[in-house]
Amino acid sequence: MSNEGDAPHVIDMTTSEKVVELLNQAALMGTEEKLTVLKQVQELIINKDPSLLDNFLDEMIAFQSDKSMEVRKFVIGFIEEACKRDNELLLRLVANLNMLLRDESVNVVKKAILTLTQLYKVTLQWMVRSKAVTEMQEACWDMLTQMKGDVLAQLDSENDGVRTHAIKFTESLIISLSPRTSDSDVPKRQDADISLDKIPKDHSYIRYDVLCEEGKSALEQLLKFMVHPAISSINLTTALGSLATLARQRPMFMSQVVQAYETLHANLPPTLAKSQVSSVRKNLKIHLVAVLKHPCSLDFQAQIGTLLLDLGMPQSEITRATPVPREPRKRPR
Amino acid sequence: MPSHPLRVAVVCSSNQNRSMEAHNILSKRGFDVRSFGTGSHVKLPGPAPDKPNVYDFKTSYEQMYNDLVRKDKELYTQNGILHMLDRNKRIKTRPERFQNCKDHFDLVITCEERVYDQVLEDLSSREQETLQSVHVINVDIQDNHEEATLGAFLICELCQCIQHTDDMENEIDELLQEFEDKSNRPFLHTVCFY
Repeated sequence: MSNEGDAPHVIDMTTSEKVVELLNQAALMGTEEKLTVLKQVQELIINKDPSLLDNFLDEMIAFQSDKSMEVRKFVIGFIEEACKRDNELLLRLVANLNMLLRDESVNVVKKAILTLTQLYKVTLQWMVRSKAVTEMQEACWDMLTQMKGDVLAQLDSENDGVRTHAIKFTESLIISLSPRTSDSDVPKRQDADISLDKIPKDHSYIRYDVLCEEGKSALEQLLKFMVHPAISSINLTTALGSLATLARQRPMFMSQVVQAYETLHANLPPTLAKSQVSSVRKNLKIHLVAVLKHPCSLDFQAQIGTLLLDLGMPQSEITRATPVPREPRKRPR
Repeated sequence: MPSHPLRVAVVCSSNQNRSMEAHNILSKRGFDVRSFGTGSHVKLPGPAPDKPNVYDFKTSYEQMYNDLVRKDKELYTQNGILHMLDRNKRIKTRPERFQNCKDHFDLVITCEERVYDQVLEDLSSREQETLQSVHVINVDIQDNHEEATLGAFLICELCQCIQHTDDMENEIDELLQEFEDKSNRPFLHTVCFY
């Protein structure tokens, strides 16, 4: 009740009431407005008052069966943010993501792959951090492992864009499932990411050696994918970039990467049109230079140099991109 | 149709002629478009080929216009530069440098190979975060008024075709091949990731 002279009367809804109202509105709206309102709800329950997240989770997730693919894509983004905010929610939401990974719309599937790329790392880290792993967590990890296999299988998808997303997933997976070393380039944003070296060998559920093998096998799959004679120029380009990232972040793979570049250079897919060949060669040049600039390229500099010369790069530029060998440390006097 | 209106960037060297011509046409056709230059400075023709007018990207089109009016109104009217700047300032305040823009696009169209290289260099030097894809396509356009107009129409047609695909990423390869045959010019094309 407000009396005259009090502060002006405002409808002071609690955040929770506000969320209820927005969710009720969203149920009746068209796609555009619905997305705006759902984004507000997401902001309120993930950032403003995360204690509400658990309460409204089911209501938000219910939109995963919305007829609009934009709304379904939004739900995937919500799942990602919610799980990052509260890792325990993985237990409830991984199954939803699994369903969305099989959506009828490729755009939804692609978004789900992007989110799985992020959540795979998050889940692994969460598993490793947990002192006692519950049965629920085990089931969650098993499902994620199955989803990982499903996405790797999408390297053979009929859809070119899905394949592109599967390549990027594979790249990220290999980075996670191989050890970071002192020579690894580590992008600042990925500094805190999980990698094989952080996985204890005596973990109660996660098997170090199994993950290590899975990482190697993913690299094999990526390399095999690259030599497919009918690969599209865009997927070839994507794979070339992924290999450069792998060589720089995981120099132990540099030899395989340089070998793959050599093979590709000598056998460009016959299906590529002339301008696609130019595009691929340009990309190959960019990625070779990126690998060459890495301090671990020492053993491969001759090979890379020859390839770059073949691709039309002047020797002077190659020399400029070649790192000077590290001097052996002088003993302090 | 892609899920949302395509977010397009058109990029040339100085964000004056080719990218602005395309920006103009694309925005009139309802695209979500922005334009950029990749050069370290904005260069406009001067009294002689070796004496260009050089500005930084902070200078507004209006300021350049006034500067050139002051320097030689007749010359810059006659060679069309004032007309171009007048058009540009109706589109936006000042040129923008691609490398300084952190917004995400679905499609980046460059107007010459050197600019394409600079865009690729910039995009690949950024740290990957969301892994969202951005397609970069180069359409060679000579830097003069007539070619800029023809080029802008070609870019616009290309964007319209891409916008109307059911599944852009699955169809773009084939679409570009058709466009190459039709326009009789080669397109460089690659994909980068944010």
